[in-house]
Amino acid sequence: MKKVLLVVERDVKRFLRYRFLLIMRALWFIVQIALFGLIASRMVVIENYFQYYAAGVSIIILYSTAMFVSYDIYEEAEHGVIDYLLSLPLSRRELVLGRSIASGIRSFMYVGPLMAIVLFLIGVTNPLNLAIALFSLFIFSFGVSGFAITLAVAIKSEDRFDILMGVLDALIVRISTTLYPRTFIQQANTFYGLISNFNPLTFAADLFRWGAGIEKYLTFSNPLIPIMAIIIFSSFFALIGIVVYEKRLEGGGWQ
Amino acid sequence: MAPIIQTINLTKKFGDFVAVDHLNLSIEEGEIFGLLGPNGAGKTTTLMMITTVIKPTEGTAIVGGHDVRSEPDKARNLIGIAFQEPKLLWVDKVIDVLNWHAKICGLSKSERKVRVKWALEEIDLWDARNKTIHSLSGGMRKRVEVAKLLIQRPKIAIIDEPTAQIDVVGKHRIWNMIRALRDEGSTIILATNELNEADVLSDRIAIMHRGKLLVCDTPKNLKDSIPGGDIVEVKLEKELPEKTLRAVKELDEVVNLVKVKPNHIRFHLNRSETVTPKIMEIFWRNNAPVLSIRISEPSLDDVFLHYTGLTIEEAERLTPRAKKP
Repeated sequence: MKKVLLVVERDVKRFLRYRFLLIMRALWFIVQIALFGLIASRMVVIENYFQYYAAGVSIIILYSTAMFVSYDIYEEAEHGVIDYLLSLPLSRRELVLGRSIASGIRSFMYVGPLMAIVLFLIGVTNPLNLAIALFSLFIFSFGVSGFAITLAVAIKSEDRFDILMGVLDALIVRISTTLYPRTFIQQANTFYGLISNFNPLTFAADLFRWGAGIEKYLTFSNPLIPIMAIIIFSSFFALIGIVVYEKRLEGGGWQ
Repeated sequence: MAPIIQTINLTKKFGDFVAVDHLNLSIEEGEIFGLLGPNGAGKTTTLMMITTVIKPTEGTAIVGGHDVRSEPDKARNLIGIAFQEPKLLWVDKVIDVLNWHAKICGLSKSERKVRVKWALEEIDLWDARNKTIHSLSGGMRKRVEVAKLLIQRPKIAIIDEPTAQIDVVGKHRIWNMIRALRDEGSTIILATNELNEADVLSDRIAIMHRGKLLVCDTPKNLKDSIPGGDIVEVKLEKELPEKTLRAVKELDEVVNLVKVKPNHIRFHLNRSETVTPKIMEIFWRNNAPVLSIRISEPSLDDVFLHYTGLTIEEAERLTPRAKKP
């Protein structure tokens, strides 16, 4: 466990060095809320859409920050640091677990203050619900990190990964309830509606809204469903990440 | 005693290209083992498989009794490596890189403090400890890479091209560090394409070419393995009589002799150190006073030439390359 924590320490410290990127992402978030959210909420018929949107954007930024670990992996591959990490006296399991946890922590560290702003704007009604929701979101970001690591290691090409992420992001974010309630997705296309039911971003957005007390447009009336789904999603990708790291990851061959 | 590293038919293919071809090596504990060959010979790929960074396509390596295929974690616990190209992130500070390396290698806080400071002073980077890797020169980055090994002091230290990009003074410093590591109990595997480096440092040398092991022995035995490789040039006061020349030719170690001038003879010998006194004795008995003697041993380049028919530079130029790490 000590070595896992050392990997966590390394990755978290490293993340904080990317000041420019962190500032820009925070600005993006503020612009989304203060401009797009504010304006869009005036044209949308959904009651309190601004709150709905702000909660959804928080989940999107949590997701994209957790995905950032894949770019770390590509940067390390470019500098050969992957070979160094693979040569160290620590198991692949410790390495991937440490990276996933670190990625979850740093996403949370980063998105935490932004979420606090959103929660302040929304006004929290039930602190216990919120605590449960936030903990589940931490598990969610841990799972997204496992997903990002799995994809990065499996693809081994930053260009291909970038293109794939463009498509995946569009699909994952758009067919989820981060930006609009499920009823509208279902109305547009029943197949989209079906997919959105199994989208991890839908589960995360649902939980955050439940914790924040925005309960009018929840996809699942029972919060246990998204909690369980997030736990299954995270466990699955943590496990897959470990398997891919152990079986597939070798030094070299990165593009 | 069982060797500390043994490779058994170790093979790595990248597509159709065979980077390492059924390599069988045996490395003894406590030795400095040189892996010599031109770029593209398969040295680095071999080291990557031993360190479990890449997986063998065929065969395996046993490291300290652990198979790299079935027990890679245990094998890795015994190994430390200084890579050919420094594997460092440019945003990191030197001190942070070394401190984290010491931590992950299991050094206690007090040990870490002492060893990191000592290593930084040894490689002359103490003043640059708070600089980012980005701001260091190529040679300085290489020294940071070597410092990791000095801090770790692993049971098996692998060093890939340790003095590439390093100036002459730095070179000798690193050579001394490698010897010091060995004296402290590490077995050293040194991959290099610098013949002099391999010769000066290694107890034994394995010469690789196109992924295959050509020969493995001590530097001296490798040089002695070239028939007539030792050259002794003798200048005499007067022309040597035929009878004396015949007596010298009868010695087993004399492979060939060339009369450069009537009083200047070039002998091609095996084991010049034992046969030269015998030749001198024959000259003395036959009243042929010697003016000067010059002895030159074959170099490892001659050894490489002998086994491949190519100089190391020619081999490097002609070696096929594949997409590889």
